[in-house]
Amino acid sequence: MTQSLTSDQAAVLVDPDENRGGTGTARFVGTKIAEALASILLVIVLGFLLFRLLPGDPVAFMVRERPTDPAQIAELRDRLGIDKPLLTQFWDYFTGLFRGDFGTSYIERRPVLDMIGERLWPTVLLVGSATVLAVALGLWLGIRAAWKRDSFFDRAQTGIALTLWSVPQFWLGLLLLVVTGGLFPSRGMHSPDAGPGFFAQGLDVLHHLVLPCVTLLAVFYAQYMLVMRSSLLGEMNADYLTTARAKGLRDDLVRRRHAVPNALLPTVTLVFMQFGMVVSGAVTVEAVFSWPGLGQLTYDALHGPDLPVLQGVFVVLASAVVLMNLLAELLYRVLDPRVRTA
Amino acid sequence: MTALLELKNLGVTYRTGGGEVAAVRGVDLRLEAGGTLGVAGESGSGKSTVAMSVLRLLPRSASVTGEILLDGEDVATMRWGRLRAVRWAEASVVFQGAMHALNPVRRIGEQIAEPLRLHPPETGALSETQVQARVAELLDQVDLPRSRAGAYPHELSGGQKQRVMIAMALACSPRLVIADEPTTALDVIVQAQVLALLSKLVAEQDIGLVMISHDLSVLAATCDRIAVMYDGQVVEERGSAELMADPHHEHSRALAAAFPTVGDPASRFAPATSTPLPPEPDHRAGPGDTPLLEAENLHVSFRDRAGKRIHAVNGVDLAVRRDEIVALVGQSGSGKTTLARTLLGLQKADSGAIRHDGKPIPAGGAALRAYRRKVQLVLQDPTSALNPAHTVYEAVAEGPRIHGLPAERDTVLNALEAAELRPPERFLDRLPHELSGGQRQRVVIAGALALEPAVLVADEPVASLDASVRGEILALLLRLRRELGLAGLVITHDLGLAWNIADRVAVMYRGELVETGTVEQVLLDPQHEYTRSLLAALPGGTAQRATTGS
Amino acid sequence: MTAPAAAASETPRAIAWRRRRAGIARTWHEFAAQKAALTGFVLLVLTVLLALLLPVISDSDGLDVTKATGHPLSPPDGQFWLGTDIDGRSVLLLTLWGTRISLLVGFAATVLSVLIGTVIGIAAAHFGGWISTILLRFTDFFLVLPSLVLAIALSAVLPQGIWTIVLAIGVTAWPSTARLVRAQTLTIESRPYIERSRALGGGHLHVVGKHVLPGVAPLVLANTTLVVGNSIIADATLSFLGVGDPSSISWGAMLETALNNGAVSRGAWWNLLPPGIAIVLVVLFFTLVGRGLETVLNPRLKGQHS
Repeated sequence: MTQSLTSDQAAVLVDPDENRGGTGTARFVGTKIAEALASILLVIVLGFLLFRLLPGDPVAFMVRERPTDPAQIAELRDRLGIDKPLLTQFWDYFTGLFRGDFGTSYIERRPVLDMIGERLWPTVLLVGSATVLAVALGLWLGIRAAWKRDSFFDRAQTGIALTLWSVPQFWLGLLLLVVTGGLFPSRGMHSPDAGPGFFAQGLDVLHHLVLPCVTLLAVFYAQYMLVMRSSLLGEMNADYLTTARAKGLRDDLVRRRHAVPNALLPTVTLVFMQFGMVVSGAVTVEAVFSWPGLGQLTYDALHGPDLPVLQGVFVVLASAVVLMNLLAELLYRVLDPRVRTA
Repeated sequence: MTALLELKNLGVTYRTGGGEVAAVRGVDLRLEAGGTLGVAGESGSGKSTVAMSVLRLLPRSASVTGEILLDGEDVATMRWGRLRAVRWAEASVVFQGAMHALNPVRRIGEQIAEPLRLHPPETGALSETQVQARVAELLDQVDLPRSRAGAYPHELSGGQKQRVMIAMALACSPRLVIADEPTTALDVIVQAQVLALLSKLVAEQDIGLVMISHDLSVLAATCDRIAVMYDGQVVEERGSAELMADPHHEHSRALAAAFPTVGDPASRFAPATSTPLPPEPDHRAGPGDTPLLEAENLHVSFRDRAGKRIHAVNGVDLAVRRDEIVALVGQSGSGKTTLARTLLGLQKADSGAIRHDGKPIPAGGAALRAYRRKVQLVLQDPTSALNPAHTVYEAVAEGPRIHGLPAERDTVLNALEAAELRPPERFLDRLPHELSGGQRQRVVIAGALALEPAVLVADEPVASLDASVRGEILALLLRLRRELGLAGLVITHDLGLAWNIADRVAVMYRGELVETGTVEQVLLDPQHEYTRSLLAALPGGTAQRATTGS
Repeated sequence: MTAPAAAASETPRAIAWRRRRAGIARTWHEFAAQKAALTGFVLLVLTVLLALLLPVISDSDGLDVTKATGHPLSPPDGQFWLGTDIDGRSVLLLTLWGTRISLLVGFAATVLSVLIGTVIGIAAAHFGGWISTILLRFTDFFLVLPSLVLAIALSAVLPQGIWTIVLAIGVTAWPSTARLVRAQTLTIESRPYIERSRALGGGHLHVVGKHVLPGVAPLVLANTTLVVGNSIIADATLSFLGVGDPSSISWGAMLETALNNGAVSRGAWWNLLPPGIAIVLVVLFFTLVGRGLETVLNPRLKGQHS
């Protein structure tokens, strides 16, 4: 009797997990996608409010410090639809986005979307390579530092990471420029004198990529390292590591099989969550090295000021970050079985 | 013949910020092959340190003196390679709280298989099929379906996780299993099953067992011999039956009294206390009087995280009168805590009525606040029930301040006095971490008494306290009932507690009260099969069964 | 410590304060036992004192382009220890005065963001249900947004000036504080003493005021020092990008001038190093103090950091 009472209670405890398997995943993914779409909508609203409402009269803002004749102003007002009701303006802007109409640059008089499209890939290259390297370096150093806690290696690495974390990226960039003194190109992505052919061109781009990438990498690896270190230190007192040691596992196996996979979860999430920060970093680094990406575009538009371009870049960058986050949440679900069924 | 395990003059010292602390001093213990030994003691007695020292699993801050002979070989001086080979293959561990002792992100099948791959038998390494076959066999042995090998720890219940731990411990057919509080935090019935399973398997496979527990009755049910530890030393070591019948050392007596035998007249209305109890008052309220607190056809439900509706309380009728203590008994998840929270107005009921002194309780505002003055709550863990930054004075004065009562200082002093913290002035400026567990629980009780309530709702009031303190707190509740007429609703999983102090018992199972009556009726002549299974699961059995059975 | 007899005659308020002072003293001792944190703290105090005393101990005339006495971009020498900038002003003097703006903006922006973060964090945890859900979504949204891009956008459309920078940093930096405060509030509110407080009859105001706020305050303090460091970097970055107040003397603005007026390309390292090192040092001081405080005050980290 005793047995049956509790074993069917156990069944009650177990069943819900098993039943939800497939549909649960679909629902989770659906919810997350819907949330991401809502976030992107919020980005668009925010971008609209920022650039249409805050400046007061955007047209007056755009033409300040510039000789403009009344006809130009009238044309601009008409194009922006300033005189229509706010909701209509938003609707026009919103539907425009879906037709690929991000507005027209006030300075270059070209569609904003085209300008963004030209600048997208250099940024992806820079941010992508820096992130991959920073993650690899940060995790590796973080694991070693935590495992050899309080050793010279740990103290030195933590000290270096804390110092680098206090360095403004643009300054590090400037410093590298001065220190390397012409060893690497200081501006842009291509040299006019690079030879033709895919290989030579690729090498030229890589040559240009070194300094911006190192600058970006130096600050971000530090954070990944510190998080990985403290996350692993947190796991180190966990009871299941005592179990693993009791089983007779060698220390490095205890670390590799049990401690690191658990400690990795929060770190991996952080890498994706902090993607917005990497993008922010890229803006300043691109400005320093005149890397022809979205950051450089932002910098130029800021000095225009070219509000439609700023607005377009804001919407694109923010949406990209929202999408990376969506990816992070989906990935986390794959990595951590606890989230999968809970 | 060499003993399976022999500890000779074992001493363990921890280096801490405040100097060296001796956790274990001069312990000698001996276990023959296939024998079973229980080590009992309260928290801090050093019993877990002894267990962990056998496989040298102590933290680095610990230094060990003396000899730890496993099959005649000294563990303390083994080389790392040899030690790793001995771990799990010769001796394995069933850890306390399997919740944390299993790696949360690996499947349990892999975790059981890990030691098999690590310690191949002398006949050569196992093939993958052989490993899987052995895992399946082990799961069979612990009565888990083979399909659960693919599950993650969080998908299992507490009892199932402990079964996985047992399967893991048996994987390499060790000669010794060390079980460290293997059933703590499990429900009574599950505890009985796990204990029975563990005993059966070690007996069948002729494995030596060292079991660590704070609960003497658990050890008595499983082990031939019991060693009682106190302050780092073994104060008594004898055969189980002998020790239970006639404990010599006063600490053994305190441990034994903490888990009274249900049905034993000597422990009825007699919790283990050093101060005598007042006599029963001449006049007591009877069934005819209006109940102080009454629930009628109460339904409470809430949604869990998956959005499923859980009917935690399902049509409950319950009354608590002046001059009586009612014990609400049930397993975790039975809805008893939800019922208590609803009675206090901390949780909304779906339907049904709650009446205080015949009047329905108000839904909110000042009237609800006034009601809460009359019905007070005492929580399970006094350590977390007190804000660590508040002094005793602030903690006790919190209630009177909320209700704007006059003469705050006198109220606080009187409440501390009533909770037997004497002299009260000495405690005013203490912070919770400077008090013992029992004193903290008294502060919580004083905080409730400061509002001069009519009913005290106590949720597992002694579950997290050490055995020797348990009796004193129960005696306090009984004394308050006899002296002040304070009614009590005590929520517990512990039938011994009900036998100690309660007048009536209500048994809750899956949101419903399956049986209600006087303590004698329900515990000595149970009608519902769930009550019977609860009683059957008591590790010490009941006195009545013991007498009729023999 | 006072004898029990003395406690008996004390008023409750006095008891509480005496205990609190003892608690603060204990925290200080634990904090001061960490060498790095103590060093950071001492140097930080000196930096703040220096910034406050600057008008007394130095002559602000040297900051005025029209009154500059040196040659443009001359390297360090006996008169100008750190050389001169493009306008012939002393880089040493400029760097010292830059401390004032950087600290002011750092502190002001931090106060703003910590205030927003704490209120939203506590509200998101304390009131469950849809309020919490909305606040949490809102926080997460701002948490992932590239904050610098948002700050650039804000400072582009608002009038130039240091208060615009303060606002831009303040309203973009709060989400991490809100997250932290929410997590800590949830931890505290899951403790049984909150349940006990409710059972005693305490309402929202009582629970938040007596238990939650004092409970999150230490963490907020530790977090604040870390946020100041980030705010100083953000300030320098925004100034460098040219959205700051062109007339104020700040480290970011000095570096912008250095890049745009050719000081960098001409190898005038003395225009580049001083303001940059100043930023790194001040931020490092804040980071050291913040981590030290975290180690002492965050129960989860106790005994974890070395």
